[in-house]
Amino acid sequence: MRIVIRGLSKSYGLVWALKQTDLVLEPGECIALLGPNGAGKSTLLGLLSALLHPTTGEVLIDGQRLDQGSSPLRSAIGLLTPSGHLYEGLTLRENLHLFNSLYGVKKSPQEIDEALDTVGLGRWREEYVSALSSGMKCRLGIGKWLLLQPQFLLLDEPYGVLDGSGVDLLESYLKRLCRSGGTVVMATHHVSRILTLCSRALILRRGELIFDEPRQQPWESFHRTFAEFLPRGDQWSS
Amino acid sequence: MAQAAQNKTRGRKLLGASALLSVLAGLYFGLIEAPPDAYQGNAQRIMYLHIPSILTAYLSFFIVFIGSCLFLWKREKRDDILASSAAEIGVLFTALTILEGSIWGKPTWGVWWTWDARLTLTAILLLIFIGYLMLRSLIEDETRAAVCSAVLGIIGFLDIPLIHMSVYWWRTLHQPPSILRPDKMPWENIHPSMLIALAVNFAAFILLYFYLLSLRFHVGEMEEEAKTRKLYRGSL
Amino acid sequence: MELLRQTVWLLRKDLLLELRRRESVVAMFFFGTLLLFVFHFAFEIPPDRAAAMAPGLLWLAFIFTGTLGLTQLFQAERENHCLEALLLGPMDRAALYLAKVSFNLFLMLLVEVIIFPLFWILFNLAFWELLPSLFLVALLGTMGFCVLGTLFSAVTLKARARELLLPLILFPLMIPVILATVRGMEILLRTGQFEEAVPWLRLLVGFDVIFLTAGFLIFEWVIEA
Repeated sequence: MRIVIRGLSKSYGLVWALKQTDLVLEPGECIALLGPNGAGKSTLLGLLSALLHPTTGEVLIDGQRLDQGSSPLRSAIGLLTPSGHLYEGLTLRENLHLFNSLYGVKKSPQEIDEALDTVGLGRWREEYVSALSSGMKCRLGIGKWLLLQPQFLLLDEPYGVLDGSGVDLLESYLKRLCRSGGTVVMATHHVSRILTLCSRALILRRGELIFDEPRQQPWESFHRTFAEFLPRGDQWSS
Repeated sequence: MAQAAQNKTRGRKLLGASALLSVLAGLYFGLIEAPPDAYQGNAQRIMYLHIPSILTAYLSFFIVFIGSCLFLWKREKRDDILASSAAEIGVLFTALTILEGSIWGKPTWGVWWTWDARLTLTAILLLIFIGYLMLRSLIEDETRAAVCSAVLGIIGFLDIPLIHMSVYWWRTLHQPPSILRPDKMPWENIHPSMLIALAVNFAAFILLYFYLLSLRFHVGEMEEEAKTRKLYRGSL
Repeated sequence: MELLRQTVWLLRKDLLLELRRRESVVAMFFFGTLLLFVFHFAFEIPPDRAAAMAPGLLWLAFIFTGTLGLTQLFQAERENHCLEALLLGPMDRAALYLAKVSFNLFLMLLVEVIIFPLFWILFNLAFWELLPSLFLVALLGTMGFCVLGTLFSAVTLKARARELLLPLILFPLMIPVILATVRGMEILLRTGQFEEAVPWLRLLVGFDVIFLTAGFLIFEWVIEA
């Protein structure tokens, strides 16, 4: 999916969370979104998923304007958060079934079970979500999007909760998604993963986009810009 | 741009001056020219304030309704400012109406308050206004506050006819003793100078209301402009 | 039809959650019963006045109990940002409104079905044959409460002092419902004639239709803001 961002900005009261930004995201791109806390990463993700209403500007997906409110465009957008956006009082199966129905996606119970197996939660399918650890909830979130098949996937710091095999699972899914023409934007702090996974890096600072480059080898400019955000005393090592 | 602002200020000053003049005229006609009522004596004079008061209170809510509808449709901040300004001035006039009704009630009925239809309805209107203002102040996000109060403005307005119907039915099916019921509207068997007093005061109230509204609206616009300037102070 | 299907799924979800946790319905039931007890101590009701005062007291209990349910109404969506999850998708926002109105109606009717007879027994009222028509009045009144209450539960979702603000806004708007329901019931108890209560019932039906429509149309803006 081709996403065009024109003059997009968001203010909260007297503060700019995101200053006017223009971007083009091409199909097949896997984009890393970096920046210190409060830089505006979550705001940008919120605007791209139309959960937030922009102060100025617009988001165009394949030429169509994305607005709040129900619209068929939204079935192509996914957002993965560490907690997975799940109902604690429902079982894993019930959660997936519910969201499939709400998205109008027809999946058989077998397909739902297969998705649970793929993310390694097959044993837990009849358990309540409240029984899961945060890493498992994130895996369930991945399972949810495996079924709903968005073409534009946004991720908000998934690496924090996933273990090694969870990371592999996620990254293989993202690679498949990008290969088939989808677009991925991932907000993260885990720089080491970006260098292997992502094709482009964006760095935000205080609501402003200060860096936007496709991945290169070596990537001096990236190291230089990003070094500002490392804890003091740490050396960058790639 | 500056010319438009100047024109607006001039317009407001003109409105204020005419409001002042008509209030003074109203006071003259109401207190001096018009004779005291045959039954209620001088206490009846408060009707020259009370009736226009009620009408401006309801007018206010209508403006809240219009502002709310426009805001939800076009999402222009100006309409939200109009609605909230009308609500604030409306609270003032509604409270005033109740106070006047109470002041009239004491010498006429012997009580400060009675649950007759008109007073009850005015009290309900006041409660809705207060709810509107409280809602605005308790929601932190400005856009959300504007949308939510607009919803309340619209629902409240749609509810008013239903509230009227139910309160009137309730009151007519339960007749309180006739000594407490003001069953005659003041304009039956009315002296012409009383009518003039009523008319002048009515005009005075409308002018005063719109003057206050325009002032409050202007303050609201200036606040908004100040916020926008502060927001855009740094580079975008 | 898509809207209906989504509404049913959301309602099913709420019913499942409630069935498992039983948070709202139990609290509402005990609160309602507690209120009736307290009323009995607070109000001296002579037997000849019981029929006249009963509807008012009953409705007072339902209104306060219902408000309790309203503040809990979107609780499931607040955990894990599930409301975001719902809004993220292409789901019709009005489906959420209809589902929540239905769920709230279900909870309140469940509580009323138990409290109604209990009230009758506690206050030594007769008129068992009037119970169906009384329940019809209660149904229409409860519908009105749910329709507006759900909308304003969503309106106050992110407001401070929510538990105080919701009744403050809702109760004045509910006056037609309170008057119509109480007067309707009182007429039925006094005269036993259904026809005399009909004007009040018409008012209730009008209220329900107007605000169900208004809520249905407006909810989308409220929930997205």
